[in-house]
Amino acid sequence: MLEHKPNTEDQPAPVSIPSRKPKRKLWRRLPWWQWLLGLFLVVIFLFPFYWVIVTSLNGANQVLQFPPVFLPHGQWQNYIRAWSEAPWLRYFLNTLFIASATTLLVVMTSLLAGFAFGTMRFWGKSALFAGFIAMMMIPQTVLLIPDYIVLRDLHWLNTYWAQIVPWGASVFGIFLLRQYFLSFPREMIEAARLDGASEIRFIWAIAIPMAKPALITIALYVFLGSWNSFLWPYIMTQSPSVQPIEVGLATFLGTNGTDWTGLSAAVVFTTLPVMLLFLVAQRQFLAGAYSATGGVKG
Amino acid sequence: MDSTDRRRPAAYLYLAPAGLVFAVFTLIPAFYVLYISLFNWNFLNSAQSTFVGLKNYGHLLGSSQFWHSLLISLYFAAGTVPVGLFLALGIALALMNPFTGRGFVRLAVFSPYVTPVVATSIVWIWIFNPQFGLLNGLLHMVHLPELGWLQSQRWAMPGVILYTLWHSLGFDVIIFMAGLSTISADLREAARIDGANRWQEFWSVTWPLLTPTTLFVLIITTIGSLQAFTQFFTMTAGGPLSATTTTSYWLYELAFLFYRTGPAAALAVLLFVIIATLTALQMWLAQKRAYYQ
Repeated sequence: MLEHKPNTEDQPAPVSIPSRKPKRKLWRRLPWWQWLLGLFLVVIFLFPFYWVIVTSLNGANQVLQFPPVFLPHGQWQNYIRAWSEAPWLRYFLNTLFIASATTLLVVMTSLLAGFAFGTMRFWGKSALFAGFIAMMMIPQTVLLIPDYIVLRDLHWLNTYWAQIVPWGASVFGIFLLRQYFLSFPREMIEAARLDGASEIRFIWAIAIPMAKPALITIALYVFLGSWNSFLWPYIMTQSPSVQPIEVGLATFLGTNGTDWTGLSAAVVFTTLPVMLLFLVAQRQFLAGAYSATGGVKG
Repeated sequence: MDSTDRRRPAAYLYLAPAGLVFAVFTLIPAFYVLYISLFNWNFLNSAQSTFVGLKNYGHLLGSSQFWHSLLISLYFAAGTVPVGLFLALGIALALMNPFTGRGFVRLAVFSPYVTPVVATSIVWIWIFNPQFGLLNGLLHMVHLPELGWLQSQRWAMPGVILYTLWHSLGFDVIIFMAGLSTISADLREAARIDGANRWQEFWSVTWPLLTPTTLFVLIITTIGSLQAFTQFFTMTAGGPLSATTTTSYWLYELAFLFYRTGPAAALAVLLFVIIATLTALQMWLAQKRAYYQ
């Protein structure tokens, strides 16, 4: 009954890459204008990455030259100096904890709600679903003031809670998983039920493995969003002992704003983890951007 | 009747965790901000707040700061949304034909999108530095006048727009590529056989069929631009002389620097109305257009 092949991440991402026509000469696959445009785009979009690395490795005398120096000079002490001037390790651990906890929470709540919307019948279903989707319409900026007061009344200001729980449900996650469960073979759910499997066990043993690509997409985007968030933690926390890395970096910009080499080094080491995550999981990230359009095409 | 056709009260249990989060941190606060906006709210002791009715709204609509901030937001939206749409579609079209290295180009264009805004805006502050920055260095090399960028009232906003385009364009490109890949090649082929050139084929086949994608990009970039905050916080702090104080940035200043909670709440409500209206308008326009095609 359950031999329907699970969708593993080995399958091609939905961002389709039209197959290349084989055995054509290189120059025909590479018309000059496309090649030029491609090169131009790569330079424009990647140059700031190169530039921050160069600046982080230059001494003060190279940085304050005009026109600018385009090559690095191996001043690794910028990194040591920048690292020693703020509690970066603490910021890293805070961010890792907050982002992981948020991701876990979102995956859990999306899985449960997506499962209910995708496989069950109940009174008020479409109204509730519309209501959940409508949550997306209310922008974060609008919620800052009331949520600040709510968190203050909960005594959650300046805690990890304030940075995790309010972000513990995602419309995107629920929507994606609902779509997933809607396309689920009905007989499979039936069979599991006849076997006497409880719903939770069904979710755990069958739905999670099958929904893995969707879950990975959701987890990656939530983790990234949490890691990169600034305004919310900046407003809701004050002490470095609970603050995430981007707030720490903004504080560092405020105190060391003219130390361009140290600042660049801090930018490099605070951004490295997300860039590595992106490079490792680039396919899932691109696929995730693609699945975001599912919301409008319905 | 099989068991799935039963109505299942257990479903509510499954919805409860997400529902609770939405209720406590989104739905109730949305009404709460509406409520606060009707008060002269005491930030430290809310019991001492006094009801003022619509006065906060009246003050906002009568203040030049409000209209100024809207104008600044509009400037930012005009610089990011239509320009971004045009550039993203152009890049997506250019990347639709496979060529060696295309995957890398796509990755490069997308990569700024995943970077934290605080971090990469710092890189751009340095690039925009009037004395030692890369950009003025390049302008100098080609014998163009150097600019004050983020420190000049005139060039601060173009600077922030440039950064924002760099940061977010890649996402729109991917969305457009996804949209383009769903348009059947047969249809375009058919247009070609009927004698349409590339340009005609684009306007008569690709562009109309791409409407849902274009609309999606238009809506998310508009909402995003009206909510943009972090790059303004790090790059300009709303300055110089409020030259980049958008409505969202002013909202932050009112609420968390000046502690004028009541007016800030009213501004939040107005911002929500503006975003909702623009979204509805765009959807309505697109639908109207769709009928004619």
